[in-house]
Amino acid sequence: MAMVMDLDFSGYSYSTTTTITTSTEGDQGCNWNDWSPVVDWEALSGDQEDFHYLIDSMMDENVVLHQPVRSIHEGYNRLSPDTMMTDEESNSTEDSKGLRLIHLLMAAAEALTGANKCRELARVILVRLKELVSPLDGTNMERLAAYFAEALEGLLDGAGGGGGGKKLLGGGKEEHHHQTDVLAAFQLLQDMSPYVKFGHFTANQAIIEAVAHDRRVHIVDYDIMEGIQWASLMQALVSRKDGPPTPHLRITALSRSGSGRRSFCTVQETGRRLTAFAASIGQPFSFHQCRLDADETFKPSSLKLVRGEALVINCMLHLPHFSYRASDSIASFLTGSKTLNPRLITLVEEEMGPTGETGFMGRFMDSLHHYSAVYDSLEAGFPMQGRARTLVERVFLGPRISGSLARIYRARGEGDVCSWGTWLAMVGCRPINISFANHCQAKLLLGLYDDGYRVEELSNNKLVLGWKSRRLLSASIWSSQDSDL
Amino acid sequence: MFHPKKPSTMNSHERPMCVQGDSGLVLTTDPKPRLRWTVELHERFVDAVTQLGGPDKATPKTIMRVMGVKGLTLYHLKSHLQKFRLGKQPHKEFNDHSLKDASSLELQRNNASSSGMMGRSMNEMQMEVNRRLHEQLEVQRHLQLRIEAQGKYMQTILEKACQTLAGENMASGNYKGMGNHHQSVPEISGMKEFGPLMNFPSLQDLNIYGGDHLELQQSIDRSSIDAFLPNNDTFLMGKKRPNPYNNSNGKGPLIWSDDLRLQELGTAASSLGSQDDPFKADHQIQIAPLSADHRGNDIDSVSDIYETKPILSGEAMADKKFDAASKLERPSPRRAAFSNERMNTVISAGGMPQGRSSPFG
Repeated sequence: MAMVMDLDFSGYSYSTTTTITTSTEGDQGCNWNDWSPVVDWEALSGDQEDFHYLIDSMMDENVVLHQPVRSIHEGYNRLSPDTMMTDEESNSTEDSKGLRLIHLLMAAAEALTGANKCRELARVILVRLKELVSPLDGTNMERLAAYFAEALEGLLDGAGGGGGGKKLLGGGKEEHHHQTDVLAAFQLLQDMSPYVKFGHFTANQAIIEAVAHDRRVHIVDYDIMEGIQWASLMQALVSRKDGPPTPHLRITALSRSGSGRRSFCTVQETGRRLTAFAASIGQPFSFHQCRLDADETFKPSSLKLVRGEALVINCMLHLPHFSYRASDSIASFLTGSKTLNPRLITLVEEEMGPTGETGFMGRFMDSLHHYSAVYDSLEAGFPMQGRARTLVERVFLGPRISGSLARIYRARGEGDVCSWGTWLAMVGCRPINISFANHCQAKLLLGLYDDGYRVEELSNNKLVLGWKSRRLLSASIWSSQDSDL
Repeated sequence: MFHPKKPSTMNSHERPMCVQGDSGLVLTTDPKPRLRWTVELHERFVDAVTQLGGPDKATPKTIMRVMGVKGLTLYHLKSHLQKFRLGKQPHKEFNDHSLKDASSLELQRNNASSSGMMGRSMNEMQMEVNRRLHEQLEVQRHLQLRIEAQGKYMQTILEKACQTLAGENMASGNYKGMGNHHQSVPEISGMKEFGPLMNFPSLQDLNIYGGDHLELQQSIDRSSIDAFLPNNDTFLMGKKRPNPYNNSNGKGPLIWSDDLRLQELGTAASSLGSQDDPFKADHQIQIAPLSADHRGNDIDSVSDIYETKPILSGEAMADKKFDAASKLERPSPRRAAFSNERMNTVISAGGMPQGRSSPFG
């Protein structure tokens, strides 16, 4: 393939990935070798020739991997040709396929953004990739590769967001998912992993502590989803013992134009449900909506505020956003709400690797690592429930992957993509400590799930949910500078 | 600079308690010199610990190195660190941390010779530990309530969704191509091999699918997840990971979580209350029994669905028809004929908590 020769793969070295271990926050660095049995990252820093050979061989599955390649896979014992035919054949073919997929993904990403960009090559690689994988079956790696390929294709097409048209997934946009599918997937996700509950409970506990002596509480929720977070908050408020009895709770949910889960109607429905639930447990409650314009910028003036109420800003970002304007929307929301001097800002977002990674490729690999861990975590707990996981992947993780890649893509060359937590700190928000109770609750919650999950406390105001050695989700608590707690 | 923290602890009959050594450490002058953790020293300790990444990551050795205080030994640091971890309390409450053994407790406080004070200091620490434990129990209790609340809330959503779908299905006569605002057919209703979670009318189709379709199982444990059973498990080869619900017995301190699950089950179950009758007899909610050994590739293990905890019995369920015990005894290897067998042996009548009021109702 003449085109392959023109690319310079040696431009970046994979050894940068190992620097992740030197995280200032302690020993939570990602050891790439622990990540997955499929990949030996350290062995990937091959030279250019090997890569071209690999690409060639990947393109043509019939090619047997010969000598030159073996050197790359030295540290990767399963792949040496003589072990191919042993009992571990199934494992090794699986692993070698996984490795192939990764190589292909990397090649495509590189072709898309590297020094020698070549969109046609990227497209060719992606087409080939998609022939090899399906988002619905196969190993974790295969399904993951399918979604990543999809996402990369979306970038190629310039969609820039989660919607890339109907390709593998049969519709990238969230609106294409039937409501019950979304619900089912949501329920499944909650049951299979602590992702959802971790964020909700940590935020709620912080809120409860912050408003312990208030009579009126007003929460502005960026993305209320089904409102499930507030069910447990209401329960906690109703049963609180110190301070004034059950405060009045007011929730303002943001809704957007258009259809889908954030539309006016859906949010209104959620409001009705919350109202009914509140009534059933005796929680004084009122619900409002705040509509965002088409450009999704948030105007603080459109909120109705009441004197004497404790204002809480709740920002759950770990569920997929389908608009490529999500970034700006979130920024405007956080900026705007900070001007209102909220008592508390709760933020839950995905925790990507250390922001030392610059450049698209580095973050791309980090993203791959991240979602691989997510997939692994789901499988570990529920290895038999493949369909369930596929649904969750399709409804939530796939779009999330697309969104992440879109964000990384748009930010390439701009330096760091910082987390929203960092952003909040930069604009002057004050971190609030995580209490012992909160940390304890998180640990107990994780105890209900697979042992591979862990929680750690970072920077005093942040709890991070991780799977094995990979951080996945972080919940952080802030306050605007001037308010006094 | 190094002043005793609590003047009140200095009784009138006390001799001066502390001398400042050359290294800046304050040692008591009682028979066995003990280290006094003064404010300043403690602050340096805290700084060092923070530098090292927190009390859980710091070790006495590294702290000692970082602090660089002469005369400070590992023993001092060990016990101080332990207390720090326990409570993260200002050291006011733990004046003297040079505990090496029980007897040293006696000399702990300023008034080492006063037995009254000894009792108090031990009590303080004891109280601290107790307080923590108590708090942990509180957190646990609250967590359980909160999870239940969310479960209950989810149930209302699911119920609504069921009704909506049921309504849609009635209206359109079939569940494909629903002409409402949804732009696509729900995958769930479209995929017949899925046991219905929301799409109850499709239960009718379940009769068609015989023993090969494991997905027909409905577990009481999850109204949805259990339905998603793989047709083949080939992609799981070699990846047998411990299942959280498999080792429920090992989770001693979290036994309560089993009850928790039961509550969740309760909500899930009652969410299915709107089903048609005839099918309930056949497609009952089952508690997927836990077989301790998790078979990766066999059909039988598929029945474990969620590998629900064995305690998953009907006890906490308002509906006592489930006989989980019998489930547990069911032999693990269940071959293809399982589904029919299962239908029959299904939690007997237990099935659908028809019209059962929510446990939270």
